[in-house]
Amino acid sequence: MGAMTVAIDADVCVIGGGLAGMTSAIAAAEAGASVRLLSHKKSTLRQASGLIDLLGYTPAGEIVADPFDAMATLPDHHLYQRIGEQAVHDGFDLFDAVVGESYSGDHTAANALVPTYGGRIKPTARYPTMTAAGLASDRSPVLFVGFERLTAFDAPYVSASLSSDGMPAPTRGVTISAPGSHRPDTRLHRLVHALDVNESVSTSTGSQPIRDALARRIEPHLESAQRVGLPALLGLENAPDVRRDLERLLGVDVFELPMGPPSIPGQRLEHQYLDALDDAGVFRTTGNPVVAFDADAGRIQRVYIDRNGSRVPYTASQFVLATGGLVGKGLASDRTALSEPVFGCHVPHPADRAEWYGDDPHTDQPFARFGVAVDRSLKPCDDSETPEYDNLRAAGGVLGGTDVTMELSASGRSLASGVRAGRLAGERSN
Amino acid sequence: MDTKTEVLVIGGGSTGCGIARDLAMRGVAVTLVERGTLTDGTTGRMHGLLHSGGRYAVSDQESAAECITENRILREIAHHCVEPTGGLFVSKPGDSEEYFERKLSGCAACDIPTERLSGEQARAVEPYLAHDVERAIRVPDAAIDPFRLCVANAAAAREHGARIETHAEVTDLLLDGDRVVGVELAHENDTGQSVPTERIEAEHVVNATGAWAGQIGAMAGVDIAVRPSKGAMTVMNCRQVDTVINRCRPKGDADIIVPHETACILGTTDVEVDDPDDVPESQWEVESMIETLSELVPILDGARTLRSFWGVRPLYEPPETKTSDPTDITRQFFLLDHADRDGLAGLTSIVGGKLTTYRLMAERISDHICERLGVDAVCRTADVALPGSDNPMRLEDAMASFDLRSPIARRSIQRLGSRSSSVLSIDEPNPVICSCEAVTRAEVEDALSEVGTDLNAVRIRTRASMGNCQGCFCAHRMAALLHPDHTVETVRSSLDALYEERWRGQRHALWGEQLSQAMLTRFLHATTMNRAHSQTASSESIAFERFDGGDDRGD
Amino acid sequence: MSDTDDTSSFDPVTVFEPTEQDLRSGSDDCYKCSTCDSVCPVAAVDSSFPGPKFQGPEQWRLTRKEDTEIDDSIMGCSNCMRCDGACPSSVPLSQMHNTARGAYVEQQRFASDAVAALRSGAFRRAASIVRDGVADFRERIRNRLLANYYTAGRFASKLPRVANAATNFGPTRWLLERVLGITSERSFPSFATQTFREWWADRGGSHVENPDKRVAYFHGCYANYNTPAVGKAMVRVFESFEYEVLVPQQRCSGTPMFANGRLDDAKRHAETNVESLAEAIADGAAVIASCTSCSMALREEYPELFDIDDIDAVSEHTYESLEYLRHNEDLDAVLSESSGDAEEYVYHAPCHARNQGLERQAVELFSSVDGVTIEDVGDSCSGISGTYGWKTEKYDNSMAIGDPMFTEMEAAAGEQGMTECPTCAMQMSHGTGYSITHPLELLADILTDDPSASSDR
Repeated sequence: MGAMTVAIDADVCVIGGGLAGMTSAIAAAEAGASVRLLSHKKSTLRQASGLIDLLGYTPAGEIVADPFDAMATLPDHHLYQRIGEQAVHDGFDLFDAVVGESYSGDHTAANALVPTYGGRIKPTARYPTMTAAGLASDRSPVLFVGFERLTAFDAPYVSASLSSDGMPAPTRGVTISAPGSHRPDTRLHRLVHALDVNESVSTSTGSQPIRDALARRIEPHLESAQRVGLPALLGLENAPDVRRDLERLLGVDVFELPMGPPSIPGQRLEHQYLDALDDAGVFRTTGNPVVAFDADAGRIQRVYIDRNGSRVPYTASQFVLATGGLVGKGLASDRTALSEPVFGCHVPHPADRAEWYGDDPHTDQPFARFGVAVDRSLKPCDDSETPEYDNLRAAGGVLGGTDVTMELSASGRSLASGVRAGRLAGERSN
Repeated sequence: MDTKTEVLVIGGGSTGCGIARDLAMRGVAVTLVERGTLTDGTTGRMHGLLHSGGRYAVSDQESAAECITENRILREIAHHCVEPTGGLFVSKPGDSEEYFERKLSGCAACDIPTERLSGEQARAVEPYLAHDVERAIRVPDAAIDPFRLCVANAAAAREHGARIETHAEVTDLLLDGDRVVGVELAHENDTGQSVPTERIEAEHVVNATGAWAGQIGAMAGVDIAVRPSKGAMTVMNCRQVDTVINRCRPKGDADIIVPHETACILGTTDVEVDDPDDVPESQWEVESMIETLSELVPILDGARTLRSFWGVRPLYEPPETKTSDPTDITRQFFLLDHADRDGLAGLTSIVGGKLTTYRLMAERISDHICERLGVDAVCRTADVALPGSDNPMRLEDAMASFDLRSPIARRSIQRLGSRSSSVLSIDEPNPVICSCEAVTRAEVEDALSEVGTDLNAVRIRTRASMGNCQGCFCAHRMAALLHPDHTVETVRSSLDALYEERWRGQRHALWGEQLSQAMLTRFLHATTMNRAHSQTASSESIAFERFDGGDDRGD
Repeated sequence: MSDTDDTSSFDPVTVFEPTEQDLRSGSDDCYKCSTCDSVCPVAAVDSSFPGPKFQGPEQWRLTRKEDTEIDDSIMGCSNCMRCDGACPSSVPLSQMHNTARGAYVEQQRFASDAVAALRSGAFRRAASIVRDGVADFRERIRNRLLANYYTAGRFASKLPRVANAATNFGPTRWLLERVLGITSERSFPSFATQTFREWWADRGGSHVENPDKRVAYFHGCYANYNTPAVGKAMVRVFESFEYEVLVPQQRCSGTPMFANGRLDDAKRHAETNVESLAEAIADGAAVIASCTSCSMALREEYPELFDIDDIDAVSEHTYESLEYLRHNEDLDAVLSESSGDAEEYVYHAPCHARNQGLERQAVELFSSVDGVTIEDVGDSCSGISGTYGWKTEKYDNSMAIGDPMFTEMEAAAGEQGMTECPTCAMQMSHGTGYSITHPLELLADILTDDPSASSDR
């Protein structure tokens, strides 16, 4: 009684439901495998801006205009070098297929320059269509609009800061109060939802749809602006409608600036990926952690998820570890050591904690490179560079070696390693 | 630029601010200069214990008696800085029973009220105390916010006509023969650069620089044998205890846990250092505190640590004593009149002492200076409440009048005291800027109106950026409030200064949850905002035409 | 020396009891990413609700020993527990909310604060507390009534026809809304003429004896009083796999009580449940629930909130019905070889099923059955959250939360709803007019030929 005896079986079992895990799962399914995706919590997609970075800066700190050109200059140990440029192309092809028209940037190999909510200009490879009118290289005048209660985005400052960084377009910033009755601590998603369903709000001139009310508040500030930039909160499911309505009402282009958590573009992207998983026939089990596994003869046989104390087995012939890094909790640490909690894979790191960090928070930090070390087929390796298990591959944030936060390559890493790990797992399982 | 004052106080810690307030209240013209932000030295780097005197009740009863007297005074005049947590001296198996009894009798001798508790009773007070705590003594220890205390003293001094200059470093003492007649200062502007110096003439100069007193003394050729001793402190993310917990044993490192605002502070170590500006921050000190104090409160092991910091005690001993162990150096304070001591008139130094007795120290030195200046005025600092402590506000009233959620109202009025109404009664919406510490925009703006562009000075006034995210989600919000009064360049340098300050302490807590937090912070600031790079690569050199010019699909 | 008691006047008295739960350390896990806020269905529609991050880690971390006041907004939480499943850092959000809500209800200003105010000499303040308290009183009675559905159900089922008529009779409804704040927009669930337990007794209990395969059925209030068909389907399904079904003594799982801060009531019920379920477990049975909120309560909330002997054993041995079968029988294989009546189902995963990792279970299982099509309406919350949607002041929010689900349901091909949760089923039906079935009912139809009992609602 209570012992879960019948395991749920698939050809490939992917652990982790973030960008890398979902990419792996789709790639494995496309390779003909039956795929089970196990995920514990909401992924870090809701924390990321929704921009898809490939390579924004060289290791020397030079801004990158053409990431594929720059990739050739990366050191040999860099993930892109180890798994090859083709994997990067494949990862972005898969991404482009998943997101369809909702993202831009696939028309060129060059990076785009997108203004950030911190008032800086950032190079990125793919950006939501919702953001497309906001490119920093565009010369048409911009009005940035912030909201009184949304203190994370200060439009006048962002405008001034972007100008001081040399953004060629004339910019202005204005802060307005959001339509509708809100408290100072009304959550961001309240406004997102209201815009999404075009809720009716009461204004001084009677009640009207919130999109109209918002446009009416922006309009007096337009002056010569040909573009209006808002923090990324213009709806979820119906975001394109929200933007279209505002553009129609204002007569100018409207775009979003990607924000920090909780990221609305990240949430939209997550929904698209979930649909893609369904389309690919991937089975998903969410809400419980993988807590144990059985291995035999150098192969993982099965993993167990924990359901309030009972262990549920999942079997597969190939496994992909895509549990994320320090933020996604695919890496664990205590005062003395780093570890990879699912399979106990080796995580190279200095024994002395004082060497985990440097003095300047803005420069290279050793802890930002923590993660499992893999061979060229993405199998995690022990400290003698031997694969830990024959049928285990790793993808995404759990991989170590590179400080992706500085070179702006986190998404590229997830896509490239995700597609490669997933495809290899799918092919080997057949 | 030359200016004049009667008394010039060097050092914006608790002693200096206390002296400035005391003298100003006596009608003396005072200028206080501080090279950094108020409390940047030892005051801002302590565990926030308002001593009952219990710690000194066996070894140093004179200090103990001073502590309990000042403890009672500060509860009255500075109640918005004091949280009456109470304290426990707890004994584990093996801790001397005889010492425990001596502690009780020592407290009685010093008029420190105590209560003897069994292990069970102690755990009823603090549920997370170790099972094997055998007995405890309850004493009226309390937690004090040294930042708020210092700022309130400075504000009181200013109300009485004093001039308070921060970011103004004394570069030289001005001498006229065997007399100090003033100081030369270098001011720092908003973006951290030095600007032309100022000379301030003074009838008397007070060296209240604590551990740095020797450096100031050297400018006038006098030798002040400060023996700076570093102590490490570790800040926990939340409060595992609500009472000050002391280990009841003669002396030792890592023997105190102080609940402080939203956190607990573990203390401390005691290691002599040569230079108070160059304190080695050793990992072992952090490990040892967590491990040793976990013996008293086991859940500390494995609990989240936000940061560690090191303070430097301004210990002093008269030249003839030659103590080898810094823990044996007295915690008494010393007034050094350099006219008597070194034949150099116009300069008095104050060294040694502790925050709990800062007011008493200030009183003694002010008495001394008034005597030198021929001023006949009595000290009133024990009788007059500090700004913020004059008229407490009720939580219910605050919630109703400021429309804040109860925990936010509660923490806000605790910080602001009687200034709550004037700060929080605004017409505009008042969103929370720092949600970890429940700091609203109105409070941050109020602090900004006092301090200009120094976000670390805002931090010590408001606690914004001192919670679990350590500035990840609020530092840039705070910085943006500087705009449009200040330039983009100033906003950026102020933000970087705050961010770097937060990083310095957080480095020592990089494991477990705080390592995850640090990585998230890095993603947000370096990747999402792209703040790290624009510093190194001048964006003016961006060749915009080489980048994606957009396609038509967006429309 | 002297042991003076001077310290008590010097320092505040201790408020926390030594055994009282202190969840401040739960904030250690929070890195402030707001993912919890991003999934909160209430925060998306209610401008006055400050979200789970504030309610949970922030409010707890800001609490000190002497702080007894919990912000009113805690009562805005619907206890859907989606924040739990979302948090990448595993902050015990719903436990924090449940505990805070319990403390909030407990310390109604009415009582403790008025006394405190009187003690401190603030007579006016005490008077105003009492005045406000009377206004609160109505809400408390209402919440208590909704929380104690078990008791209401027990009385109503004695005279089901009268109860059905009375609860949905206009003037009664008007009174309920005016006096107690229970919305008249909804129809009360009707009470079955024969409860599940009565049916079980009539039937003579289990038809299978099998000491090796035993399950103890936790039917909960709803399957007992309102939808015995679900319980009967459970028995048919499990007996078809040769399980001996036990139906132990039981009371309400506590779910509605948690949501209304009535932890004392919930604990009383939990004590009975734990005792009798632990006995069944000792007899070799696993505990099976057909309502996902019940299994959630037994599995997660019980050990988080209460300290009762054997509570961990109950938590570890409780399963949702299909989950248990799937892992103990080769259900996937059986179903992929089965066929059902051609029907298109539109399925909604209850939040509490989601929290147990079961959100895709029904869709996966039935999609392999020949003839059956089943479409998932996505990850929206139905909005009723047990008792939340029954409150007059929450009704509009509840419908606004449910709106995306209604839209998805109507867009889907099928017109037969399916869900595990009885209150989600009410909301689905209320918003679309569809009839709603439980996965066990479909499974019973697929696995067994016996068409009995399916009409007895």
